[in-house]
Amino acid sequence: MRRFAASVRATEPQLTALDQRVGDGDFGTNLRAGLDASVRALDRTAALSPAVTGRAGGPLRTVATVFLDGVGGTSGPLFGLLLTELALAAVGPVLDVPALRAGLAGGLAAVQRVGEARPGDKTLVDALYPACEALRVCPEQVGSRVALAHASRAAWEGVRLTARLRARRGRASYVGERGRGVPDPGAVGIGLLLSSAGGVLTELPPSVTEPAPECPD
Amino acid sequence: MVPDALAGFARVHADLVVHDETAGFFRARNPAAGRRVAIVSGGGCGHEPLHLGFLGAGMLDAVCPGQLMASPHNRQVFEASRAVSRGAGVLHLVKNYTGDRINFGIAAERLAHEGIDCARVLIDDDLASDSPDSATGRRGTGAAVLVEKVLGAAADTGLGLRELAELGTDVAGRCRSLAVASAAHRTPATGRAAFDLAEDDLEWGVGIHGERARRTESRPALDELVTRMTEELLAALDPGAGDSVIALVNGLGGVTRLELYGVARELALRLDRWKLVLERVLVGDFVTALDMRGFSLTLMRADPETVKWFDAPAHTPSWPR
Repeated sequence: MRRFAASVRATEPQLTALDQRVGDGDFGTNLRAGLDASVRALDRTAALSPAVTGRAGGPLRTVATVFLDGVGGTSGPLFGLLLTELALAAVGPVLDVPALRAGLAGGLAAVQRVGEARPGDKTLVDALYPACEALRVCPEQVGSRVALAHASRAAWEGVRLTARLRARRGRASYVGERGRGVPDPGAVGIGLLLSSAGGVLTELPPSVTEPAPECPD
Repeated sequence: MVPDALAGFARVHADLVVHDETAGFFRARNPAAGRRVAIVSGGGCGHEPLHLGFLGAGMLDAVCPGQLMASPHNRQVFEASRAVSRGAGVLHLVKNYTGDRINFGIAAERLAHEGIDCARVLIDDDLASDSPDSATGRRGTGAAVLVEKVLGAAADTGLGLRELAELGTDVAGRCRSLAVASAAHRTPATGRAAFDLAEDDLEWGVGIHGERARRTESRPALDELVTRMTEELLAALDPGAGDSVIALVNGLGGVTRLELYGVARELALRLDRWKLVLERVLVGDFVTALDMRGFSLTLMRADPETVKWFDAPAHTPSWPR
């Protein structure tokens, strides 16, 4: 989570630039504010006894609550839902492959129950759905690090494809054709979350920031 | 402006409502004794008396006001629902707008994690946004008041969550609304009109957030206007001769009561001509769009039970009967 915060801090200008083109420009700021508050909350709970902090999914639960309660806009609380499901799926201190799979799938289901977005609507579902699919087919023996690498690669591929889409839901649906060529900022956030588990990402993949070639529907 | 107004509302109606300022919701001070399921609604401010005015015995248990014409935060809905839950579940009455759907939806997910049963009735009565191309569906407008009244009365008889949700979906499905305006509301921050409209023009099919309608046309005479509106509503509701209806003649904030009664007369004449029984009519400002100069008509197909629930007593700041 701290790496996710560092990634978002590093890429906030890029995120904001994306959201200014398809939304209202506050996604990067909201996400960063949520993560800064999360890091503060984690620091506070780290001072508590290991019995509290060592609870399965405990830190994730802390961060989920910060996102649900404190982050503005719509996508912040949706990240909170995803993190809640990941926390609920955790059985040990580390998320193993079955827990990742169950948590991410539960998060996707919750986000879809609430937001009703389907793959192709140009929302964060377009990154989350392929990540879930990648985990579903990933054998358990590979371990969570490799599984996460698969998931984040699939998520970034999903992000890249959102640039070609016309938004059907979310804030970007109001700009219509003008959003063509711009990847969905919420989907980028999912990409950052998943790759952060492996290390700090200090810039968005070039395939995401370069305008996608024009293509007909 | 909004926090001051909310504090004022809490002060003025302190006998009926309790304001939780920290969590950002209001709850009924004296809900009816027989009620088991808690009913929670909310939405942006600027639509007064909706929803706060309908908080109290016979109607709502809690209301979450958002900022000006913005949905409440999921945290408000979650905290309000938790505070008024009596153990038999919480029913969310949600107007069909993306922000409201998502925020109430997130709150429902959180309630489920806490073991609180939650169901939703979606209010989507606005004919002007009825289009097969739209993924978002019809907006929720005037019907909110009628649904809140009927469900509140039904809940006071001790009905359970599933029964209420089913009844609410049925009742909401029996309502359609249409709104027109001859001038936009003024944006409070600037005092300027949200959109410009020529002197003799009319916006046909406005919503309640100052968004422009699909169509601008020259303003017809009142009888012709109400005839066309009524015919569109009846075409959508498709009642038969002798059927009962309840009507809401609703000011959007900038028309006089006198004018609304004129509209009500025209509406009643049209319904008579269609041989429909106009059981009850509400006339006044119920679901406003700040000071928009316009009105909406809502028709609800009614049966004896609906009329009985409509007539049941309600003790809230703004229910008129």
